[in-house]
Amino acid sequence: MSAISELSSITRRKGKATAEEKKANKRDNKAAYIFLLPWLVGLGAITIGPMLMSLYLSFTDYNLLQPPEWTGLHNFTRMLSDARLHNSLRVTFTYVFVGVPLQLGVALLIALVLDKGLRGLPFYRSVFYLPSLLGGSVAVAILWKQIFGTTGLVNQVLAMFGIQGPGWISDPSTALGSIILLHVWTFGAPMIIFLAGLRQIPNMYYEAAKVDGASTLQQFWRITLPMLSPIIFFNLVLQIIGSFQSFTQAFIVSGGNGGPSDSTMFFTLYLYQKGFGQFDMGYASAMAWVLLLIIGVFTAINFIASKYWVFYDD
Amino acid sequence: MPLFPRPASAAQQNAGAPTSGASRRNRKAGAVAAAVAAVMALSACGGGAAPQNADGTVELRFSWWGGDKRAQLTQEAIKQFEAENPKIKIKPEFGDWSGYWDKLATQVAANDAPDIIQMDEKYITEYSSRGALLDLSKYDIDTSKLDEAALNAGKGQKGLTGIAAGINAATILANPKVFEAAGVPLPDDTKWTWDDFGRIASEITAKSPKGTYGAAAYGTDEASLGVWLRQNGKSLYTSDGKLGFEPSDVAEWWAFLKQLSQKKAVPSASEVVEAEAAPLDQSGLATGKNGMAFWWSNQAPALEKASGGDLKILRFPTKTGKAADTELWYKASQFWSASSRTKHPQETAKFINFLTNNVKAGEALLADRGVYPNSDVRAAIQPKLTPADVKVVNFIDQIKDELGEAPAPPPKGAGAIQEIIKRYTSEVLFERLSPVDAGKKATDEMKSAISS
Repeated sequence: MSAISELSSITRRKGKATAEEKKANKRDNKAAYIFLLPWLVGLGAITIGPMLMSLYLSFTDYNLLQPPEWTGLHNFTRMLSDARLHNSLRVTFTYVFVGVPLQLGVALLIALVLDKGLRGLPFYRSVFYLPSLLGGSVAVAILWKQIFGTTGLVNQVLAMFGIQGPGWISDPSTALGSIILLHVWTFGAPMIIFLAGLRQIPNMYYEAAKVDGASTLQQFWRITLPMLSPIIFFNLVLQIIGSFQSFTQAFIVSGGNGGPSDSTMFFTLYLYQKGFGQFDMGYASAMAWVLLLIIGVFTAINFIASKYWVFYDD
Repeated sequence: MPLFPRPASAAQQNAGAPTSGASRRNRKAGAVAAAVAAVMALSACGGGAAPQNADGTVELRFSWWGGDKRAQLTQEAIKQFEAENPKIKIKPEFGDWSGYWDKLATQVAANDAPDIIQMDEKYITEYSSRGALLDLSKYDIDTSKLDEAALNAGKGQKGLTGIAAGINAATILANPKVFEAAGVPLPDDTKWTWDDFGRIASEITAKSPKGTYGAAAYGTDEASLGVWLRQNGKSLYTSDGKLGFEPSDVAEWWAFLKQLSQKKAVPSASEVVEAEAAPLDQSGLATGKNGMAFWWSNQAPALEKASGGDLKILRFPTKTGKAADTELWYKASQFWSASSRTKHPQETAKFINFLTNNVKAGEALLADRGVYPNSDVRAAIQPKLTPADVKVVNFIDQIKDELGEAPAPPPKGAGAIQEIIKRYTSEVLFERLSPVDAGKKATDEMKSAISS
């Protein structure tokens, strides 16, 4: 018997369980908890424990080498006058609000093309998904550094046309853009979700529209977008949360310092520098909680706004 | 996806490879067991228990930063020590400078610091004042043969927390090949001024193929700033742990750099930023893209090896054109420090004593960490030195009578200074801030970094 059918038979019999069955249920529950134990221990020791610890540390002055000292809200008030922190917020918000819409736009576009029933679709799907698997990795960030260096691939190609390109990732005016591009390039995961969503839209709507003489664009605006809106919403929430927490790309591309001139100093990177580079772990912990708050607020806004534009077909 | 990727951990794995696989497995199993026990007890901090095996052998962890050459030499020294002390095993942990300090801070916080720590002057006060380092004067380490200035550099409020591993000086290294190719003669470093430096560098750039520059830009660390300030009668720090200069002093330094940049004596701003991230063997000097660059004297042999040719060690230029005004100083290149929480202080001290005073250690390490501060070892290893090492030793001897006063030790928080300098250097080079504004802002930030 498969696990699912076993599960459903258990639920079906619920309610009229005999004493013996109850005992068996208890035993099953116990077994379940034992199987869950590694995860539960992990959740407690690796997630909840450290989270509570960091909440405590955010109210302390903690330099890693000596025991933390309670300072109340001092870390949070310090943030108000920390110009580098404000800059890191600016960088992070730019990254999220430029990078996420661009990435989702590209993902949707590619999904629409692939949905047209190309020959060899699985192949293209895999190829387009590949960057998502690699994009967050250290190796690709290093590769990115090579491609966009002053003597990198991009500038070599530009040089063929007689254009002298800047040092894309080493120039403060283009560095963040290069990292956003890296983010957009990893459109594979939302693309796959879009593809699945597109497949869910019943063909009859399009057929009816065609009969009524609607253009392709009209079909897209009136059918595809509304029908796809729950999927767009899902991707949006996921990507915004993920992007606020981006770290690896900026860390590797900038060599860990958020440079040049703090132009790629993400909030998380500054947090890392404060905590591990400048022995200011109390402040770093406070920053982590501020980030949690920011993400929470934006997710809430997202959900509230969704009432006005997401269409559920049921 | 690893949240905090560090090159050091990869290097560590490589380093462990040649040692016996069986003992590694045992240790691993032990670590897993310890981890499980710690998790079961739901304690946040797993103890970094130093293993002491049943047969009485002690294992010590030894961490340092540096490149391949240093790793080879240090492993050789470890081998010599283990041959003399079969009951002590030394487990190396090494990686690049950039990841080293993050890792060390985390290890110390987790109560898992290595027993022997290669320490830098920028961080020694930070760690020692907070009680993370062992007072080595209480252990059996012979310091009678050490150069006095070098020995004093490791002393602080908490006693002798570091023993100098070598003596260094700030230098300009020149690549004669680049000079030759450009048809520019090498300067006489006993007479040259900063203006000469700028003129020569821009001449090389002009006469070299595109992408080659006369000099690397300074402004990526505090050494070159330190020299500049000293030549102007100032200093980086004062003896009471404050900044020893005014915003206008550092503004002048950046103004001169901006001039160099405009004359194309140094690479473009973007190239300077990219060069910062490059490891030693891919630096502009090693790859023949720079005619001159700012390095510590002990780095010359490694750079020579990487460049595959001859390098010349030069004094810094001066304002007056007199070598006596260079205001260089002997710096303790690195320190040997020990964790105050080591389970085996005696053995740790024994190993540091070996590194400091044993000729065999000297024969293995040679001049990679600078000129040996122990005069006996220095004399004994003289015949073994490579030509590159000899050059370094000669340079250190040459400048002996020109040295300025020993600088005040960097205060707590000094580890942040380099990053501040780097950041404002790129602000100036990209012309986002004037040298004057950069000077003001940088000085403010530095002040608050060392006052907390």
